[in-house]
Amino acid sequence: MTSWRERLVDRTDPELTREIDAYEQQLELKKQGKVEANLFQETRLRRGVYGQRYDNGLRHDGIAQRTLPFPCGDLKKGPETVWDAPGMSRIKIPFGGLNPEQMELLADLAEEYSDAILHVTTRQDIQLHYVHIENTPDMMRRLAAVGITTREACGNSVRNVTGCHKAGCCMSETFDVTPYAAAAMRFLLGHRDTQDMGRKFKVTFSGCAGEACGLTSLHDLGYIAKLNEQGERGFAVYVGGGLGPVPYQAKLFSDFVPESEILPLAQAVCRVFARYGEKKNRGRARMKFLVHKWGIEEFRAEVLKEREQLTPDPAWTAYLDEVAAYGEQPPRPGAPLGATDDAEFEAWRATNVYRQRQEGYAIAMATLPLGDLTSWQMRQLADIARKFNGGYVRTTVDQNIVLRWVPEADLPALYQAFKAIGIARPGAGTIADVTSCPGTDTCKLGIASSRGLAAELTERLDAKFGTLDPRVKELQIKVSGCFNSCGQHHLADLGFYGVSRKMDGATVPHFRAVLGARRENNAHEYGQTIGAIPSKRVPDFVERLTGLYLDQREEGESFPDYIGRLGKKGLKPVLDEFSEVPPRLVDSSFYSDWRDAREFNISDIGTGECAGAVVSRIDFDLQEAERLHYEGQIALESKEYQKADDTAYLAMVEAAKALVRLREPNISDDPDAIVAKFRSEFHDTGLFHNKFVGGNFAMHLFRRHEDKARRYDEDNARHLLEEAQLFIEAAYDCQARLSEQPQLQPSLA
Amino acid sequence: MNLHKIGVKVLAQNGDSVDLVELIPVFHRWIQTAAVEDLLIDVADYSHVHQGPGVMIIAHEGDYAFDESRGRRGIVYYSKHALGGELADRLAIVTRKALKACQRLSAEREAGGVSFPGNELEIFANDRLLAPNTDETHETLAPVITAFLDKLYGEGAYEIERENDPRERYALRVRASAPIEIDTLLERVAA
Repeated sequence: MTSWRERLVDRTDPELTREIDAYEQQLELKKQGKVEANLFQETRLRRGVYGQRYDNGLRHDGIAQRTLPFPCGDLKKGPETVWDAPGMSRIKIPFGGLNPEQMELLADLAEEYSDAILHVTTRQDIQLHYVHIENTPDMMRRLAAVGITTREACGNSVRNVTGCHKAGCCMSETFDVTPYAAAAMRFLLGHRDTQDMGRKFKVTFSGCAGEACGLTSLHDLGYIAKLNEQGERGFAVYVGGGLGPVPYQAKLFSDFVPESEILPLAQAVCRVFARYGEKKNRGRARMKFLVHKWGIEEFRAEVLKEREQLTPDPAWTAYLDEVAAYGEQPPRPGAPLGATDDAEFEAWRATNVYRQRQEGYAIAMATLPLGDLTSWQMRQLADIARKFNGGYVRTTVDQNIVLRWVPEADLPALYQAFKAIGIARPGAGTIADVTSCPGTDTCKLGIASSRGLAAELTERLDAKFGTLDPRVKELQIKVSGCFNSCGQHHLADLGFYGVSRKMDGATVPHFRAVLGARRENNAHEYGQTIGAIPSKRVPDFVERLTGLYLDQREEGESFPDYIGRLGKKGLKPVLDEFSEVPPRLVDSSFYSDWRDAREFNISDIGTGECAGAVVSRIDFDLQEAERLHYEGQIALESKEYQKADDTAYLAMVEAAKALVRLREPNISDDPDAIVAKFRSEFHDTGLFHNKFVGGNFAMHLFRRHEDKARRYDEDNARHLLEEAQLFIEAAYDCQARLSEQPQLQPSLA
Repeated sequence: MNLHKIGVKVLAQNGDSVDLVELIPVFHRWIQTAAVEDLLIDVADYSHVHQGPGVMIIAHEGDYAFDESRGRRGIVYYSKHALGGELADRLAIVTRKALKACQRLSAEREAGGVSFPGNELEIFANDRLLAPNTDETHETLAPVITAFLDKLYGEGAYEIERENDPRERYALRVRASAPIEIDTLLERVAA
């Protein structure tokens, strides 16, 4: 076998193979200069292929900013992104669910295409860094063969659908949300109504209102499991949450939506967001701004109106049969475990084990430092999962990994197995389990080194973990490299985000403290921003503030309550104590960041791709027409004349559909319907006509469409490909005329 | 075999004396001064991970690391893009880059006196399409690798152990009977 495509084609859903073939062809077209930079950028983002720090070809090495002379020359993969510069690949793991086969494959990919490290994100994805774009199609093929996609992992699309890692096993859940999260993922992935949104869209499912596993409050669309008075299943639905520079709490849309309605409701919300959401101002384009601007009442009314107009779709309820049948089957019977005399094991058990509602079973958590594990660890963990729990593994929003359905009696042996591969660190969910986004390590937007700070805090807190007061142990720290909050600093007792300050003629890395969030009830209260502290003083600040909390707390007072009682004024003295930066001659260490020896500067901050680019649906459709035309040319070269001919025809139909969609967004994929509508709306009206050749190019489509006894040979295929090229160009011309002369624009039906 | 993604790890002596975090400034300095071959991009710190890639220099052509996988520390270099020449030439290129990095690191004050006796290597294929860890791959690659090792250590002067987990990369662990200077190995690679 000479390619992964050849090797895996029989094991992959043909539709996925076609999608990845199309993506690979788009890479080829980009290299030929046939795809515009913004369009290609959004195309790759929607396949999970993301930019990374220094990918503009510039890097400050601590002395000066240097050009990185990549061999690709001027070839770009985005407006400011050099083709050869390594990037990040985000891999969607719906509700964090993984099986051993998938884990082994991920381990292989990390070794072969990345740096042998798998990074668990705060939205249960897996990220690989330093991936070359030329490797991404093979990576996608290998993932597809084990049922994983990167599609819509980035860009203006529906991102990974997250869910409680304890779902199905949780003491406090109403019911298992797993099959609903899976159904929402499948339904929204690639859905036509999610392709034209102005910004990313995040969905989550939570099993209960009281805990924080699903983090409903910070999602665009959040579902919390609920039963109505008749005991029927449904969800409380929240909309318009989000973190970022200005965090918004999601608003209650409905306190009960029946299970049969959750998918059409999601569809209606997406349509409203796509239609009315901000598209130009990237900083105001998340749905939270629309909900805020309209108010929840108006937003709700518009969504419900939209819901009424939707064409019924069998997919809305088809999955409900699977819900009844859904359930994980533990391979071994549950078995209780009493207290043991192994102090080390018991310390781990106290923080890393959760007793399931099913008697005799537990969820065991592997605490991953900074969310990282190696390929070798992942492979070994796959074996451990096979042996101990039937392979039911999930990633968590706190960047850890859990094994569910472990018989409690097996926990000592599991602990030893974890220990043997270096993932038996106690302290899951405690102050020593620090969450961090990638920050300046790899993110283009990072200001300060969140991972460097998180690593330093982890090391220090680990060293004294056994002696920490339980009330300090239970706190959480989350760090982001900038205000965009990928490290979810708004959700922590002690949150920090990277900023910079000019001092002594230099730039000094700082972190702004965000304190006192309340994570219970799906993170119902964000922390309050206090002040900035030099990066190098943050660990001492944490020690001082937690010490003050123990000394000054009133009876029964929680940390958020303590912070609330002190307020900014009360916290000022402790901030002042740590805000001073010594002159460089006295202590130069303040002028570089944690675990980055270079003198600190912010010149490496690039243009982020989180917001993607606003690319309209018609651009994607016309690009698909171009790609089909290219595929037809390849077929002609391979002497596959029928394929070349049919593909050239499909390219014209696709280009026609691109235009027709301006008039009728829900036009079906039926060529008869598309051609008829194209004829009446664009040909007969003269909108498609070129001023030199009139409607001739449209005739290429009509003739081929009506040719029911097509003769497939080389000449016909070649001529049709030429005609298709002209037709596609004419479609582009038509699009340009319509955008320049809005009065000609057909109004939306 | 048209294999280009090849890696070589040179095992260190006193590797545990190195504080990995102390290597971060060393590697940044290497980038500033172009101390090793390739288009050097950035330093990646994985010192927090158990027996991981340690501290790395991410480069375009390949990656360097002071790696601690399997609990043994050493310098790794692995190529990521096409290399010139025949397989034997490519193996020599990768080995040369790893050995030069060893030479350089031994001279760094922050490296805690680490040294490279030169008698232990790991050679691996980082490409499961072309070179999965199978007997067939071994039959194809072993003659080339053995010829290369004969050149480095002399015929019969070393032992080879093959990675036995089929899921892992195809890898050979090589142990020569006596230490050998890195300079000497470099001369033999170039010969």
